Amino acid sequence: MSRVAVAAVVAAGLLGAPAVLSDFWVFIAIEVLAFALYAVSFNLLLGFGGMLSFGHAAYFGVGGYAVALLLNRMALPLGVAVVGAPIAAAAVAVVIGYLSVRRTGIYFAMLTFAFQMLLYTVAIKWTGLTGGFDGITGVRPHGVLSDPRLYYFFTLAVVAAALLALYRLVGSPFGYALRALRTNPRRLQYVGVDVRTHRWAAFVIAGAAAGLAGGLFALASGNVFPSWLDWTASATPIVMAVLGGIHAFLGPVIGAAIYVVLEVVISGQTEYWPLVMGCVIVVLVLVLPEGLTGWRALGWRGVRARGVVP
Amino acid sequence: MSRAAPILSVDDLQKHFGGVRALAGVTLDVAAGEFHAIIGPNGAGKSTFFNTLTGLLRPDAGRVAFEGHDVTGQAPHALTRRGMARTFQIASVFPDLGARENVQVALLGYQGATWRPWASARRMGETRARELLALVGLDGLSERAAGTLSHGDQKRLELAIALAGRPRLLLLDEPTAGMTAQERLESIRLVHRIAGELGLTVVFTEHDMAVVFSVATRISVLHQGALLAEGPPAAVRADPAVQRVYLGDAAATVGQAV
Amino acid sequence: MEALADFLLLHFGWAQNPVVVARQLLAAISNGMLLFLISAGLSLIFGVSRIVNFAHGALFMLGAYLALTITVAGPGSIGVFAAALAGATAGLYALGAVVEVGLLRRIYRAPHEFQLLLTFALVFIVGDVVKLVWGREDYSVPTPALLTGSTRALGVTFPTYRLFLIAFGLLVAGALWFILHRTRWGVMVRAATMDRQMLSALGINTRQLFTAVFAVGAALAGLGGALAAPIVAVGPALHVQVIIDAFVVVVIGGMGSVAGALVGSLLVGLVNAFGVLAFPALAVVLTFALMALVLVVRPWGLFGTPE
Repeated sequence: MSRVAVAAVVAAGLLGAPAVLSDFWVFIAIEVLAFALYAVSFNLLLGFGGMLSFGHAAYFGVGGYAVALLLNRMALPLGVAVVGAPIAAAAVAVVIGYLSVRRTGIYFAMLTFAFQMLLYTVAIKWTGLTGGFDGITGVRPHGVLSDPRLYYFFTLAVVAAALLALYRLVGSPFGYALRALRTNPRRLQYVGVDVRTHRWAAFVIAGAAAGLAGGLFALASGNVFPSWLDWTASATPIVMAVLGGIHAFLGPVIGAAIYVVLEVVISGQTEYWPLVMGCVIVVLVLVLPEGLTGWRALGWRGVRARGVVP
Repeated sequence: MSRAAPILSVDDLQKHFGGVRALAGVTLDVAAGEFHAIIGPNGAGKSTFFNTLTGLLRPDAGRVAFEGHDVTGQAPHALTRRGMARTFQIASVFPDLGARENVQVALLGYQGATWRPWASARRMGETRARELLALVGLDGLSERAAGTLSHGDQKRLELAIALAGRPRLLLLDEPTAGMTAQERLESIRLVHRIAGELGLTVVFTEHDMAVVFSVATRISVLHQGALLAEGPPAAVRADPAVQRVYLGDAAATVGQAV
Repeated sequence: MEALADFLLLHFGWAQNPVVVARQLLAAISNGMLLFLISAGLSLIFGVSRIVNFAHGALFMLGAYLALTITVAGPGSIGVFAAALAGATAGLYALGAVVEVGLLRRIYRAPHEFQLLLTFALVFIVGDVVKLVWGREDYSVPTPALLTGSTRALGVTFPTYRLFLIAFGLLVAGALWFILHRTRWGVMVRAATMDRQMLSALGINTRQLFTAVFAVGAALAGLGGALAAPIVAVGPALHVQVIIDAFVVVVIGGMGSVAGALVGSLLVGLVNAFGVLAFPALAVVLTFALMALVLVVRPWGLFGTPE
């Protein structure tokens, strides 16, 4: 089946979905869109830049809280709230990124994790701002977009635009520098590229995109909670990206779709979704390391170890 | 007649690691157009010298000036932009990218174009990349993934990458390492010819005396982190201190080269 | 000046009361000992195999649950409690060995994201397994007979069990020190934390070493969990806070260093105990800020080896 045909089918599916799906499944579709952006934003760092962040959930959470605060507490228009989410996340990423990119490999990962934990504790302790464990509820789009099906199209448009921008970024000179950075940062330095600043920029962009995803999801689910930033949440984007395959731009999109749908279906059957997810991950790691877009490379024999930058 | 200002001026460069003095105060001037070899036994500090010169390591003392400007301790990317290019003992390329793509990325870097976020980079610099590959004799292998190239070809690719930024000074760390004797002479003569055509100054480290004496216009001898001797090949060869350090070895290989 | 005096009094006024200080100090040290047992294992595992074992808190939790089950046979009996400690330690040693051989061994050469995912998967799996086996409620384990009540120490009365924890923890620390510095195996482990390639070049069976280190780390976590059982709520949420604190400790102390784990645990224990008096809202943030600071300034921690 040619690429154009596949694209056409997918587009038709995306555009036609609200007509055939129930309200609940329209919400799930919106969740898939938001998480697809979230996963792709994470993979900008991992698959393209070779930077494994243990703390990416922080930006998803900041985006969610930003929308909730701008919309509910400050009664600003929806557009402002949606634009505010990535800006808030980017602002946080600028600071955290500045400190984190001074280190690489496992130290970088632990730094991002430490900062996510820091933000998590702020979320649960600063109850005046964040509502503590209760989170912020009643986060709903007003007016026209309060109709879930119209909100779906809104989300689809925003996510499509964001993914397009990220796609162009990956194919641009900046994207090429990022990919080169993953395999040989020292050589990149010696062709005149300020590696640290490029890493920082990638970190901020990825954070902003994750913030946008979090904001869109907050509007869809109507709430935001500190659990969006707890330590197990940091695994979510990693699972989605690896599940779909980190070496393809759209891999994480597929991974997000499968992850969200799987979670919904399994959680409907049993309360032991974590157990199922754990087993899925074990199978993924041991049998299908290239994710679903790389199913041809079963097992580790077919895979060159594409290590994280040391 | 006064000498023109040196293109590279190193003044009392020092570097230690814990208790080990890798560079014990190296002072050296390189004039433009030289094909300058740096020789010395293993552990003499040649790679440390290059690393400290080009900002990969911070010097503990001393000054480095390039084309008259003080560049001591500047980061590698800044030095590269100023016109200094470098290769490594084990060829440092982008293994997952094709040979041509490697050079294209290098071009993007040297031009400061890596901040552009939207335009498609796939064809940027393609023509110039092909030219550079042809210059080093890799035009047939332009689409091969750099990681799959032979060792010698990777070194040629690295040379093309170094040349892509139109540098004025080329620093080559053991450019002929890992090659057969025949390959070594061919390789260094290629570099010598290109340097002559492009008017480049070359500073390179080398173990093989045949290679050194076939092309070098000046030689510096490093020993235990300090400069033992420096000058035209004949003078260095005749230097008693150098002969003492290279006890017999230099005399034998020098005999072959001449 | 007045404002400064008020500030100091508000946040540090408690320091004038020796009873409070002594009590917090003992609490800090006893908590520190429990933290040490988890962190030592986590640190060793990282030092030798470079795997960040996110499931370590879950192993601690399993130790607590095993102790819970064993002490049902004779609640409050010191003999049964000793058996519980031994059982938890041995049980987690075995589990650690199985996990290492069955799962972790396959991914040592894998990119970090896979290693991370696998240990996370273990967290999710163990977290649900305990719910399936023991249910979702929190249990309490009775303190064994001889160790109930309070004793006088440092001029204050303090729970005897916690004093026991301090003593036992120091004993284990001493034993670990002896093993690492005076036995052949221990020397190999310490060498491995500094240079793994060298070890296999010397012909040492690194596979067995990795398995043993992971098993020992798990056993320590299990022992820690069993020791903690009488003073914590043994429930499915037990592993959460524990793992976070353990990470902070390992980062501060230095990944791969048991001495670092001890110092780091005591430090974190002190920061938590006194931080909560000085700046209640900020105390938790303080530990993460400290972790971040260490990672930025000196990532190999106080006692680790720079790479």
